[in-house]
Amino acid sequence: MKPTVYPRLKEQVYRTVLSNGLTVMVVPRPGFSRKLAYFVTDYGSVHRKFRLEGQEYEVPAGIAHYLEHKMFDLPDRDVSGELAKLGANVNAFTSYDMTAYYFSCTENFEPCLKLLLEFVSTPYFTEESVRKEQGIIDQEIGMNADAPDSRIFELLMEGMFREHEIRVPILGTRETIREITPELLHTCHRAFYTPGNMMLCVVGDVEPDRVEALALAVLGAEPAAVGEKHPMASEEMTCPTPYREERMEVAMPMFQLGFKCRCPEKGEAAVRREVIGDLAAEALFGESSELYLRLYEQGLIDGSFGGGFETVDGCAMLTCGGDSDDPKALQEAILEQGAVLAKKGIPEEAFLRMKRSAMGRRIRDLDSFDSTCFRLCAYHFSDFDYMEFPRVYEAVTAGEVQAFLGEVIRRENSSLAVIAPIT
Amino acid sequence: MVQVYELMSGVTLRCFPADKFKQGSLSIQFLRQMRREEAAVNALIPAVLLRGTEKHRDLRDITLHLDDLYGASVGAVVRRIGDYQTMGLYCGFIEDRYALTGDRILEPMMDFVGELLLEPLLVEGGFSPKFVASEKKNLIAAIESERNDKRAYASAQLFRKMCAGDPYGIPRLGEAEQVEKIDPVAAYRHYRNVLTESPVEIFYVGSGDPNVVAQGIKRIFAQIPRNPQTLPAQTAFQDAGGGDYSETMEISQGKLGLGFVTPITNRSEDFPAMQVFNTVFGAGMTSKLFANVREKMSLCYAIGSGYYGAKGILTVFAGIDCDKEPVVKEEVLRQLALCQAGEISEEELTAAREAILSGLRGVHDSPAAIESYETVAAIGGLKLTVPEYRAAVEKITVADVARVASTLRLHTTFFLKGVRV
Repeated sequence: MKPTVYPRLKEQVYRTVLSNGLTVMVVPRPGFSRKLAYFVTDYGSVHRKFRLEGQEYEVPAGIAHYLEHKMFDLPDRDVSGELAKLGANVNAFTSYDMTAYYFSCTENFEPCLKLLLEFVSTPYFTEESVRKEQGIIDQEIGMNADAPDSRIFELLMEGMFREHEIRVPILGTRETIREITPELLHTCHRAFYTPGNMMLCVVGDVEPDRVEALALAVLGAEPAAVGEKHPMASEEMTCPTPYREERMEVAMPMFQLGFKCRCPEKGEAAVRREVIGDLAAEALFGESSELYLRLYEQGLIDGSFGGGFETVDGCAMLTCGGDSDDPKALQEAILEQGAVLAKKGIPEEAFLRMKRSAMGRRIRDLDSFDSTCFRLCAYHFSDFDYMEFPRVYEAVTAGEVQAFLGEVIRRENSSLAVIAPIT
Repeated sequence: MVQVYELMSGVTLRCFPADKFKQGSLSIQFLRQMRREEAAVNALIPAVLLRGTEKHRDLRDITLHLDDLYGASVGAVVRRIGDYQTMGLYCGFIEDRYALTGDRILEPMMDFVGELLLEPLLVEGGFSPKFVASEKKNLIAAIESERNDKRAYASAQLFRKMCAGDPYGIPRLGEAEQVEKIDPVAAYRHYRNVLTESPVEIFYVGSGDPNVVAQGIKRIFAQIPRNPQTLPAQTAFQDAGGGDYSETMEISQGKLGLGFVTPITNRSEDFPAMQVFNTVFGAGMTSKLFANVREKMSLCYAIGSGYYGAKGILTVFAGIDCDKEPVVKEEVLRQLALCQAGEISEEELTAAREAILSGLRGVHDSPAAIESYETVAAIGGLKLTVPEYRAAVEKITVADVARVASTLRLHTTFFLKGVRV
């Protein structure tokens, strides 16, 4: 494997695509003991409709996450136990558009990596083990239902989207998970856990060529068919429900405000759009904005306030959230300031300062193995090399951010979700 | 290796020179005795300091200055470490070599920290009443929003009940009623006392020259008439009796908490064995609680134990159906009894030891982990360096684990349950 060098970041990334279709990336970290490996599939909870080997499928809500739980089973073996014995810490997560399996260790890296590749590529589901997982996932669903910060995000998604699958909770419901069978899990695994739909990313002081060789040895050289995901429903930019509220056991009202954005393409255009979105959020309500100070001094927001730009397969949004006594007044203030900035624009000097600050924070973030691995994978699935971010930041203009604010910060694009205290 | 400098009486600088990170970090903490009457004001002060100085007069001025320093961050630190409460600031900033040629970050950052600490915006001999009023509101919100996270709330309640006779029962941020009473002039007077008399712990990780850091810190503290006091040593758990408590909320999942006590603290020789026991028992996917209560019995999604070495307290929490309390409690106690009887497989022991060793080997890979290990060690009384701790863990046997497990005694239970039960 050959490295690409990023002098500005003082980073190197080794990268290759194996004959079986798997993308492999290695970020060397000499002088560090820890090694982190992410084995990720470009498949998440929103990918419920797909075509495989000439057949159409529509699978139950929550199946991607259910599959993630069941991947840890291998016949007559205890994957977690074996990894623990090697000193590795293993875990996994499912998001709207990807599923990641990862471990970190300080020693025994190669046997750990081999095991990770083995268990994620080996489907093994029995009627009994699949049924047994229901009780555990029921409790996970119950935990989320009582957690206002996850519940409020679900409310916001229901308020913002008409048809996009992001409306459906990642975990599914107690009802939908009961439709999941070993056969359906096998189908999803066959469709999306093939090397051509996956990526392996390692951060740490390891030998890149050994990573490549191990991946080939465990996964084989032959490519396999990848399921074709149906494109997500494209939607109008208006939100179906401007306001949603629920009552829960919280101390003070909690809110999430979302603005629906045009769904970006892939590649550099998408990343440019994301950087523009991030800078727009900074300019509008970031900690150094006029509005932030005013709202903070008025007591409408506190340290819990934050937001940014997000994309999920087929949709994009600018959101902010936190605790507030008066979320509606806050929404009005943001709409008003958005209109002001869209008209007046952002002074060049302030814009440069904002960019420098945003870039500085991204550079610091590269110290985190987890964040680096996660971003390399997520950006790769959007066809972009994350380490190129300084170039994109430098290219973005204040005019683009101004135009973005004019297009996005509109009442009809917005939806407000509130969790109010019970009493 | 951490280098320790006594810069002046009661002012300790610990440096971990490292050029492998893209950021440097610096923390400055004042040490206080945990006391009910001052916990809230100690938690409030760093937030007020971050609101404005004589030179940077509001939040925006401060943030713009930090933006100029390439998005550096300064945040409040308030920790509870055994009988002590720490209060201060924690900063992260990119290393000079990632800035544009000629730009310096470390030194301006230290000057700015000095400004935040020593030149708060004052109004009539006190902190700005406007800043104090709004940070009081925010602190009360932060204290009360503990109930948003049911697991955190159940844990806080368990500690309140368990530690009725110990300062460990005082919440890290104090109680809302105490916040209400704070006034800007008295708070500033208290802060002057803190500056004068409290021991100070400073921690720096980064590639900067430790002498530059030391000079910067000396410049700050030279401006204060210091009369440092020594804090009493950390104490063992002061038991005022336990019991079984419960509370209801409108929730679908119950949170069961069990609080155990042990005479083994992080000052004890058996501390590493207790950590191994905790991992065998309830930390991670190979623990007895995870393998049995979750995987075998499908009774929960989240279950785990935590050991608080500063006091010798061990807790277990599980998110469960509200009617499953008796069966879960019984199973947790049964798994503890198995540990006490030495029924621990070689796999379980190896997995636990490896998990701890792996964590210890990785401590020096993250500035935050280095700071946290070294500060908690220094302040909490843990006498082991990372290599000593590792060597001790490697020697732990099943008999050691069984022995320390046998010192545990169930003290208090707390069950947060749904109203529909």
